[in-house]
Amino acid sequence: MATDTAVATPEADESHAHHPPHLQHHFVSSEQQFDSAKLGMWLFLITEILLFSGMFVAYTVYRAWHPEAFTEASATLDWVLGGVNTLVLLGSSFTVALSIHFAQKDDRMKAFWNLIATLALAGVFMVIKYFEWTAKFEHGVFPAGFFDPHGGYYETLASIPYTGQFFSIYFVMTGIHGLHVLIGMGVIGWIAWRTFRGHFSSEYYTPIEITGLYWHLVDIIWIFLFPLLYLV
Amino acid sequence: METAHKEASGVTKTEEAPNYLNHESGIWSWLTTLDHKRIGIMYAWAVAFFFLVGGLLALAVRMELFGPGETIMGPDAYNQTFTLHGIIMIFLFLVPATPAVLGNFVLPIQLGAKDVAFPRLNLASWYIYMIGAFTAIAAILLGDIDTGWTFYAPYSLQQGSAVIIMTASVFVIGFSSILTGMNMIVTIHKMRAPGLTWNRLPLFVWSIYATSIVQILATPVIGITMLLLIFEQVLQIGIFDPALGGDPILFQHFFWFYSHPAVYIMILPGFGIISELIATFSRHRVFGYRAIALSSVAIAMLGFLVWGHHMFVSGQSAVSSIIFSLITFLIGIPSGIKIFNWIATMYKGSIWLQTPMLYALSFLFLFTIGGLTGIVVGVLALDIHLHDTYFVVGHFHYVMMGGMVMALLGGVHYWWPKMTGRMYNETAGKIAVALIFVGFNLTFFSQLIMGTKGMPRRYYDYLEQFTALHQVSTIGSWILAAGLFLVMGYGLYSLVRGKKAPANPWGAATLEWTNVAAIPDPHNFKRTPLVTRGPYDFHLADEVFGGGDGAGDGAAVRAPDAAPPAPEPKTAQ
Amino acid sequence: MAHSDGHADHHIIPFKTLANVFGALVVLTVLTVAVAQVDLGPLEIPVALGIAIAKSALVVMFFMALKYDKPVNSMVFTVGTVFVVVFLVFTLFDTAFRGDIGNVGVQTIEEEEAELERLREREPDPEQLRVTPSDYGQDGTGTGSEDMNDQ
Repeated sequence: MATDTAVATPEADESHAHHPPHLQHHFVSSEQQFDSAKLGMWLFLITEILLFSGMFVAYTVYRAWHPEAFTEASATLDWVLGGVNTLVLLGSSFTVALSIHFAQKDDRMKAFWNLIATLALAGVFMVIKYFEWTAKFEHGVFPAGFFDPHGGYYETLASIPYTGQFFSIYFVMTGIHGLHVLIGMGVIGWIAWRTFRGHFSSEYYTPIEITGLYWHLVDIIWIFLFPLLYLV
Repeated sequence: METAHKEASGVTKTEEAPNYLNHESGIWSWLTTLDHKRIGIMYAWAVAFFFLVGGLLALAVRMELFGPGETIMGPDAYNQTFTLHGIIMIFLFLVPATPAVLGNFVLPIQLGAKDVAFPRLNLASWYIYMIGAFTAIAAILLGDIDTGWTFYAPYSLQQGSAVIIMTASVFVIGFSSILTGMNMIVTIHKMRAPGLTWNRLPLFVWSIYATSIVQILATPVIGITMLLLIFEQVLQIGIFDPALGGDPILFQHFFWFYSHPAVYIMILPGFGIISELIATFSRHRVFGYRAIALSSVAIAMLGFLVWGHHMFVSGQSAVSSIIFSLITFLIGIPSGIKIFNWIATMYKGSIWLQTPMLYALSFLFLFTIGGLTGIVVGVLALDIHLHDTYFVVGHFHYVMMGGMVMALLGGVHYWWPKMTGRMYNETAGKIAVALIFVGFNLTFFSQLIMGTKGMPRRYYDYLEQFTALHQVSTIGSWILAAGLFLVMGYGLYSLVRGKKAPANPWGAATLEWTNVAAIPDPHNFKRTPLVTRGPYDFHLADEVFGGGDGAGDGAAVRAPDAAPPAPEPKTAQ
Repeated sequence: MAHSDGHADHHIIPFKTLANVFGALVVLTVLTVAVAQVDLGPLEIPVALGIAIAKSALVVMFFMALKYDKPVNSMVFTVGTVFVVVFLVFTLFDTAFRGDIGNVGVQTIEEEEAELERLREREPDPEQLRVTPSDYGQDGTGTGSEDMNDQ
C-alpha cells in the first residue's frame, strides 16, 4: 500500500544500533513489546476464563435441576478451611501485586521476597486442599460413578440422588483450579529466581507483570468457587 | 515432508539475493525457525498432507456408497472411515488451514511488520499442532473410532481408549489454534506499520482478526468439553452420561458452543481471501469496504448465538430452539452484505480471469448455495424433515468445500508466486478449476436432492431408489479428485520447474506485492513501509505497480519492470 | 487512563492503594461467610455472587491494574466475560425450559399415559376432522383419530 518508501521510517535501521538487551528484533520499541505481551496475556486469560466457564455452566445447570442435593452435599464441605484458603489466595495476590510494585521501583530484593511469599502462600493453599480432598476420599466421596459415601454425616448423602454430581463438579473444578495453582507455583518460582539474579528492573519487568496477571486470575476463579461450592 | 522442504529451498539456490528460503539451509534451520513465513510453509506441508489423507478417505466413503450393500468395505470400516474423514478434515485441515498457513505467511507482511508479535509461540503452535496430529494418528492406529467427528455422548463413552486418545488430540490441537489466534490479534493491534490505520487494513487482515476472536473465545470450550469427556470415561463424573444421572444434551451444548463458531473459524478467512482476489482481479476498489470488514466481526459475534440450531431434534426446549432459529436467520444479513458487495466490486471493474479469480467466482456461486441451504435447515419445522439427511451433508460441504476450500485454493494460487517465487501453469490451473467446479457440483448437488428425498446421512446401506443419485455423487467425486490431483501435480512441478515469478505478477496493491521482493527477505522489508493510502486504491495502478490488463500470463506482463528487488525502482519514480 | 501512554514510565500503583484493596477483599470475604450463616432464602445466591463479583472487580481493577491500563485490555476482558454470560444464558434457555412442549420425557411413563388418556377424552368427534376426500371414505370414521394421538 505504501508507495513512498523513500520516506520510510528510520527505526528499521537504527533500532539495531542502540536497543536494550531485552528488546526483540521485530519490535520497534520496548513500549510496543510490553504492550504486546500484556495484550497477549489478557487474551490468554480470557481463554482461561472460558475454559472454566464450561464447568460453571455445568454447575449452574445441575444446581438448578437438583438444588436440594447441592445444598446437602455443599454442607459437608468445611467452610472454615475454604475461607482460610480464600484469605490465603487473596494474600498471595496481594504479595504478587507488591512484587510488581517493588520491581517498578527497582527494589529487587523486596520484589524477590514478595514472590517467595506468594510461593509460600500458594503452598499453604495446596496443603489445605490436600487435606480436604483426602478427608473426602476417606469417606468414599468420589465423583458420581464411584460415589459411595459412608461414615458420619456422609451416610445421609447416600440416600439423596445427584449428590454425586455435586462432588464430580467439586473435584473437577477444584482439581483443574489446583492444577493452575501448581503451574503458577512453577512459573513464580522461576520468575523469583530470575528476579534474584537481577534480570528485571524498572525498565523491564514484563515477565513479573504477566505472571502476576495469571496469578490474579487463579485468585478470581477461587473467589467464585468458594461461595458457590462451600457457602450457598 | 522433510525432503520437500529441501526441495523448496533448493529451488532458489541459483538466485543471488538472500531471501527467506535460502538465507539458511538444512532441515534444522526449518525446525527451529522463528520466521513467520517459514512457519507458514511448515504448516502448509502438514495441512496439505492431512487434506490429502482426508480426501482419500472421502473417496473411499463415496466408493463404498456407489451401490447398495457392501462395495469395498464392511459397515464397521465404513463408520470408521467417515469418522476419520470428518475428524481429519475439521480439526487437522479446515481449522488451521487458512489462519496458520496464509495468515502466518501473508498477514505480517500486509501489516508492514517484521514478524508476528510472538514468534516463539508461533513455532510452538506448529509443534503443538504436530503433537496433536501424531496423537490423532496413534488413536487411528489403535482403531475403532466410529463416533463421527462430533463425539456425542453417551455413545462415545462406550468406545474405549481410542476415543480418549482422539479427544485428547483434539484438546491439544485446540491449544495450537488458540496460540495462532492470540498471535494474530496482538500482531494486528500492535505491529501495524506507520500510517496503517484500521481503515486501511486489507480485508484479509480484518477477516483473520474476526477469525482470531472466534478462536480465542470458542476453542477453550472445546478444550474443557473434551477434558470432561475424558473425565467422564476415566472418572465417571456423571455430567454427560445418562446412566450416571448426567445429561447428554448438555454435551451437545458444550460441543456446539465451540463447533458452530468453529465453522466461522473455517469460513471467515475465506471471506478475506475472496475480498483480496475480487479487488485485485477486478482492478477496482472494494465496494463497501467498511461493511465487509465489520460484517466479518458481526458474523464472528453472531456465530456464538446460534449453536442450538444443530440440536433442534435433540430434545432441547422449544424456547431455545425458537431463539436459536431466529438468530440463525440473522446471520444471513452480514453474509448477504458480503456477497452483494463483492458483486458490486466487480461491477465496472476490468475483470481479469486468472485462476485465482476463477476460484473466487466459483466461491460466490457455491457459497451462495451453501448459505441459502443453511437458511433452509435453520427453519424449525423443515429441519425436522431434513435433520441428519444428506441435505445437511450437502449444505455443509457447499459451505466448507465450495466456500472455504475454493477460497483457500484461490488464495494459494494467488500467493503462490510470493511463497515459492515460482509461477504455476496457468492453463493447467484453469483446467483444474473447471474440473473441481463441475466435480464438486455433481458430488454435492445430488446429495442435496437425496436429502430432500429422505436419504439419512452416515448410513452404510440405502434403498434401491437412491442408487442413481449416489452414483452421480460418486462419479462427481472422481472428477473433483482429478481436479485436485491436477492442482497437486502442477504445484509440485512448479516448485521444481516453474517460471520465476516477478515481485507483483497480479498488479495487486497490498504491501506484500508492492513493497516486498519476489521472494521475501527474511525480515520482509528492507525498510519499514509508510502507508499513505487505502488497500485497494487502484487509481494509479498502471503507473505505480502496473499489470492487470488481461493479457494472459501475469509473469509475462510484469517481468520487465519488476525483476529487480521491488522497492528500489519505485523509489526512483 | 492516559497515564500509561508515556514512555517506559508505567503507572506505579501506590503501596497504600494495594493495601487498602487487600483490606477490602478480606472484609468482603468475612462478610460473605457471615452472610452465609444467615438464612436469606432466595436471596442467598444473588448476595453471594454479588460479593464475589465485587471482590473480583477489585482484583481486576487494582491488582491487575486494568483501571490504569490501555482500554484495549479492558475491552478484551469485557468481551471474554460477556461470552461466558452468553454461554451460560443460552444453555439455560434449554435446561430451564426442558420439556416445555412435552417432546421429551421429563414425566414418568405413567404420567405420560395419563396425559395421553386426557387428550383422548378431549378429542373431537371424527366427523369434525374430515379434511381430505379420503376422510369421507367408505368406513366413514376417517383416519383422523389415529393422527391426533401423536400430538
